[in-house]
Amino acid sequence: MGRKASPKQRGISGVALGSIDTVINWARSFSLWPLFFGLSCCFVEEATAFTSRYDFARFGAEVFRGSPRQADVLIVSGTIFKKIAPVVLRLYAQMPEPKWVISMGSCCNTGGMYDVYSVVQGLDQILPVDVYVPGCPPRPEALLEGLVRLQEKVRRERPARRVLHLAGGHQGGRRDHLRLGRDKDRDPRGPGYESVPVRGSSVEPPWFRGNRSEHMWTPPAHRVELNPVDRSLASQLQGRFGSQLKVQEQTSDHLTVSTSAVQVPEVLKYLKEDSEPRHQRLEDLTAIDESARRDPAERNGFTMVYQVLSFDSATRVRIKAPLEAERPEVPSLTELWPSAAWYEREAYDLFGIGFEGHPDLKRILLPHDWEGHPLRKDYPGRATQLPAYTRGDAQRHQPEDGASLVKGGGEDEYVLNVGPHHYSTHGLLRVVLALRDETIRDIALDIGFHHRGVEKLGERQSWHQFIPYTDRVDYLAGAANNLSYLCALEALAGVEVPERAQFIRVMLAELYRISNHLVFYGTFVQDLGAMSPIFYQFREREMIMDIAETITGGRLHPSWFRIGGVAMDLPEGWREKVDAFTSVFESRLDEYEKLVRNNPIFLRRARGVGTLNARQAMEWGVSGPNLRACGVEWDLRKKMPYSGYDKFWFEVPTAPDGDCFSRYLVRVEEMRQSLGIIKQAAEEMPGGRYISEDYRYHLPAKADTLQDIESLIHHFVNATRGPAMPKGEAFHATESPRGEQGYYLVSDGGTSAYRMRIRSPGFANMQVLPSLCLGLPLADLVTILGSWDFILPDIDR
Amino acid sequence: MQPETLEIFRPWEPGLLSMVIYVCLVTGLLTVMLAMAWWLGEKRHARDKDMAYECGLKPSGKASFRFPASFYLVAVFFLIFDIEGAFIFQWAIGAKPLGVSGWVQISFFVFVLLMSLFYVWAKGGLTWGERHPRSNVESRE
Repeated sequence: MGRKASPKQRGISGVALGSIDTVINWARSFSLWPLFFGLSCCFVEEATAFTSRYDFARFGAEVFRGSPRQADVLIVSGTIFKKIAPVVLRLYAQMPEPKWVISMGSCCNTGGMYDVYSVVQGLDQILPVDVYVPGCPPRPEALLEGLVRLQEKVRRERPARRVLHLAGGHQGGRRDHLRLGRDKDRDPRGPGYESVPVRGSSVEPPWFRGNRSEHMWTPPAHRVELNPVDRSLASQLQGRFGSQLKVQEQTSDHLTVSTSAVQVPEVLKYLKEDSEPRHQRLEDLTAIDESARRDPAERNGFTMVYQVLSFDSATRVRIKAPLEAERPEVPSLTELWPSAAWYEREAYDLFGIGFEGHPDLKRILLPHDWEGHPLRKDYPGRATQLPAYTRGDAQRHQPEDGASLVKGGGEDEYVLNVGPHHYSTHGLLRVVLALRDETIRDIALDIGFHHRGVEKLGERQSWHQFIPYTDRVDYLAGAANNLSYLCALEALAGVEVPERAQFIRVMLAELYRISNHLVFYGTFVQDLGAMSPIFYQFREREMIMDIAETITGGRLHPSWFRIGGVAMDLPEGWREKVDAFTSVFESRLDEYEKLVRNNPIFLRRARGVGTLNARQAMEWGVSGPNLRACGVEWDLRKKMPYSGYDKFWFEVPTAPDGDCFSRYLVRVEEMRQSLGIIKQAAEEMPGGRYISEDYRYHLPAKADTLQDIESLIHHFVNATRGPAMPKGEAFHATESPRGEQGYYLVSDGGTSAYRMRIRSPGFANMQVLPSLCLGLPLADLVTILGSWDFILPDIDR
Repeated sequence: MQPETLEIFRPWEPGLLSMVIYVCLVTGLLTVMLAMAWWLGEKRHARDKDMAYECGLKPSGKASFRFPASFYLVAVFFLIFDIEGAFIFQWAIGAKPLGVSGWVQISFFVFVLLMSLFYVWAKGGLTWGERHPRSNVESRE
């Protein structure tokens, strides 16, 4: 800390001042008021800390304030993104004196596992930090410990002289931030490597010589036979477009065709309006930078990748179109699908691809004044390869002015920012409103405050190493994230998963679905003014966290599924814990329903508000409970079963009205259905292996590595440099708690992905939201946001 | 302390002196509290700190501008009708000694109040804000 204790005080004045110090410190240390401000995953644990089980309030820090003017502790919980750093700085500045800062979680402490272009590598390089809480995320107890440490620190202060305007004394947290190169080391290899040059500098080549994974042989990618629908569609397409379109012979998932960029809108229009079946949804739109392919013949420009989905036949089609490297441009699809607008802006932002005819082509995820396009292969992925982000940068790069984002300026209209720091945005979302009185006249969403560059990280981490990153894509859905990624990977490599592992996966995924919906339930009704339910719901959520911890060892981010199965077999005592939960949950849910469902205030605020109809929902690519609340019976677990979901009995709840109340009803009913699935999985849990027998791609069971040399070798190879995946591509989506989460993996035969694309439900769901809010009063915006159940890493990735 | 000296503080005896003492006490207490907060608190000024708080961003436009405030209307109506309520309570306390004539007078008073309430209602003064059509995506197209 570097601050010396004040000089020894003598005499009566010294004793008096010392006593005043004691009294002030005692009062301050037990009335610390944290600011209600969460950045990412860590905040969920922070929020858990002030529910009944952990009871933050017993330390006197019970009042989480919504405004920095009333708070004196800034708990920065989560990842500091370069886009949000200016906001963090301003919030800190707006707090009154004296104030303290707790840095919570690895990301906040050092950047953690996100050494990536969009993340600041540690809060302490822009703000003074008093206490660091380690963990990813730290458990609630760890935050309690952090608070106790801060109290101890407060008690060492000498505030009396400052308070009485005398010379000397000190109060409040530290005031200086760390300077890079002087008191903070930037080398990702850790301290002590100063004299060893980094790879890619003037003395070391950028590649790793002797990388044996370069020569690892793999069988060809898994090949599937096209189903009759796909075959008929392929012949329709060939009949219509002839030689302008080519059907790809080998595919690991579904029908794939390639065509020229100018032809794309025609082909997609045909697929949407004339083909049999029709494809109502633009599933995904993205690009691949081909310039770093291993085969020099393939190194040319970009490839646009479009995927569309048919609700009638439950099939998907992929359309690929090559683009030149210089000035890549394709016609925009915004005329055909309104949902293309954000996807195209994303491709423009991250790849620099132009879209002819796009009404508003500008950056979406990165700050408006960002330079370069990070998903291009020549863009450095690591934050530590880019110039250091300093306090000066945070002061210079301010978010866009709200007035430039909305059409305001009418008579008596004014512009108001809701978020990125706001209770009802549930994370780092910025809603810019043009209001007249309190009616929303125009609305714009500014996203990307939570862009963690996870797609770029996927190109650097090995196939195995990437699993923990998937947990953090939707931090409330835990293991369900692993499943989406692994299903795609297993489709690509053709890995068979044993039945026991499938059941374990399903059971955990459904537990996390309930856990997610509980958080939805609590926060939604809390946004409408009902304070109590969330405290009860976190009680049940803790039961689920305990089950997850018993089985996986983790809470929010178990990272426990593995290629070909799961990390370990179920531990002793899992059944009792699961049964204890399933036996009480139904009646608890009924209790909550009694509190909320017939409450007239709740009904008045939720019914008929934010109505979306089924056709619009399909057009905009809305998925998950939000889609089912529009009366569309569409659930991937039923329509395109994966991971053995066809062996379970459950119903797909829908609600007809598409309003906030319907979205509530669907989620509550889904919890009951998930409970049924968990019961079935627990009762019928098959025996056998928890990981597949073929060890080419995955980490062998530990017991096997002690028995035979083959398994040991595979363990060694796959745990160090990692398995190489066959060259190819695969897309797989699962019904995650929030909607359809799909992974599109492109492998170039290496030990990490060539392109890791995440089709997240939030990005698509969020795009339609502004149109629901137009013309409504401000209070309804809060209802709609709460009912929408979005989460920022899932939108911004 | 003799009980007689406390006579002036008796709440049921209206008197100027007790009122003055009360005002002085309140003013004194407020002054001490505000002065302590002003003097003891540490103050630092910076551009960001003196800026209005708007979810962590720079506010767009000025804070002082003309805007329709439906809440203001409701607040004014509340004040008006609330104060009338105070008159009625006082009548209620003295209802017996005031007799029939008092009852007639207060009835007329209440009648006038009701008429003005209906007038406000008919004029749309009790409708909250502007009309809010429950819009959806369709209505935008």
